[in-house]
Amino acid sequence: MQTVLRNDLEFEGLFQFVPENLLAALPAQNPDAPNFTDWQGIGSKYLVVTRAELSGGDLTVEVRVFFVDSGQTILAKRYSGKADNPRIFAHQASDDIMTLTQYRGVARTRIAFTSDRDAGADRKGVKELYIADYDGFNPRRVTVNGSLNILPAWSPDGRSLAYVSYRQDRTPMIFLAHIFEGRSIANLTGEKNNNQAFAPSFSPDGKRIAYASNRAGNMDVWVANADGSSPRRLTSGASQETAPCWSPTGQEIAFTSDRTGSPQIYLMDADGLNVRRLTTVGSYNDAPAWNPSKQFSEIAYTARLEAGGFDIAVIDLASRQVRQLTQGRGSCEYPSWAPNGRHLVFSCERGRKWDITVSDREGRVLRPLSTGPGNNVQPDWGP
Amino acid sequence: MKHRPFVLVLLAVTLTACASHHRPPALSRAAGEEGGGSGHRSASSRATQPLDGSDVQVLRDEGTSGQDFPLSEPSGEGGPLADIHFDYDRAVLTDEARAALEKHALWLQSHREAKVTVEGHCDERGTTEYNLALGEQRARAAQEYLVSLGVAGARLRTVSYGKERLLDTTGTEQARAKNRRAHFAVSR
Repeated sequence: MQTVLRNDLEFEGLFQFVPENLLAALPAQNPDAPNFTDWQGIGSKYLVVTRAELSGGDLTVEVRVFFVDSGQTILAKRYSGKADNPRIFAHQASDDIMTLTQYRGVARTRIAFTSDRDAGADRKGVKELYIADYDGFNPRRVTVNGSLNILPAWSPDGRSLAYVSYRQDRTPMIFLAHIFEGRSIANLTGEKNNNQAFAPSFSPDGKRIAYASNRAGNMDVWVANADGSSPRRLTSGASQETAPCWSPTGQEIAFTSDRTGSPQIYLMDADGLNVRRLTTVGSYNDAPAWNPSKQFSEIAYTARLEAGGFDIAVIDLASRQVRQLTQGRGSCEYPSWAPNGRHLVFSCERGRKWDITVSDREGRVLRPLSTGPGNNVQPDWGP
Repeated sequence: MKHRPFVLVLLAVTLTACASHHRPPALSRAAGEEGGGSGHRSASSRATQPLDGSDVQVLRDEGTSGQDFPLSEPSGEGGPLADIHFDYDRAVLTDEARAALEKHALWLQSHREAKVTVEGHCDERGTTEYNLALGEQRARAAQEYLVSLGVAGARLRTVSYGKERLLDTTGTEQARAKNRRAHFAVSR
């Protein structure tokens, strides 16, 4: 539990931990009455004390945080619950400790993704949706229909996933899975005559859903109410428009269009007006993901910056400066931001296997998540 | 400028297609026009002059050919109609693809109960979303050419798989070329 808590806090990158050799030099401590002078002596500012008690199948965890200079308790929490997944206690404690900073913690958030791990010789082409904890642990399968299920998108309340399934008539349509109720709604946007719908994305208030559909003859960006009612087309023309994503305010939508002959990212108002091109560097840019934090005004996307491979790039909306997050890792694509905008996930191919990779905003720390076997792609970081 | 004459034995009509003019060869109406939706009957009546009943030639009733044909597997592979292939990041039909589709159109005219889902597929390069759009363009290009060759639109539908169903995952140039395809899933 302490290891998980430490990993959670280290992940956020806001805390420095006292090195082991200094801890070893400390005199023995009474957890109920720490000697703050000792802790001050090794340069610590905060002290986190945890205590866990197992009784039957129930676990109780106490976490206290002291301000070392004054000896004051600045946070005290007691968590109790079933002991079958003790990691969740640590995640909860991490998120509570994060309230001491200006950022919301992400230790209890989850990542939805697509995997072929349950495909097989007799289940060829099968892809199902899964969710895992933000650190890749605790993967769980969501869809069980043995069809092709792709492009999961969380609802802002974290209780539903919109996704694309080929289950009905082998035609791609948007489905909505209520993951805690084990039921899903087919063809949410009411496509008819074998029209196809892709790439769902919920507005930040959860009231609307943007998606791509070929209902009007070719692929365009559409918006409907979250229950699929009142679909309305936002883009027009003979070019292909897809991959919509919302700004944090819900007032704008970024999307991909090939109207100039190659895919580039554009912005428009949420009513489809005021379309303007965003990306001008590179011949192939797709999959925009708007940083959900209003503090960082930027969009991550997939870019073909060099011939061949694809990389994750971020464009600053004010300066239009592009920074490349990945380089020389094979192909990486499909970025999605953590709810606090401080990290992002995407999928990278290494040695012919796709896995989900997590990175900080600057691309300084990248590590693959161990979500399990198979090719793991299309991550969507949920609330 | 190359001309590709070929003989269509099945219907005993000789056609000449000019590959560089992207125009479908005009199929003889007697060879089985079906685009109007009224089926073979109108085609047959147009192919013959109004008669007084004493001099009617015998026409084959093409609508009841009733022969069995193999179906495509639900996995999106195999079947009686060969895949057509595309250049990287393109949805334009190549000369080879057109020639294949012309054969497919004839097959479809002699197998009138066949329905086809035209699947557009891409290689693994490029992004998930854009490849889904590209796959749809590929499927639609194939569908439109088949319709222009006289296949009823109601028998055809398109589905894009983007890069979600690679035939060959070895990542070689050859594998990629194989993956950039329109597949024709045939059902009755």
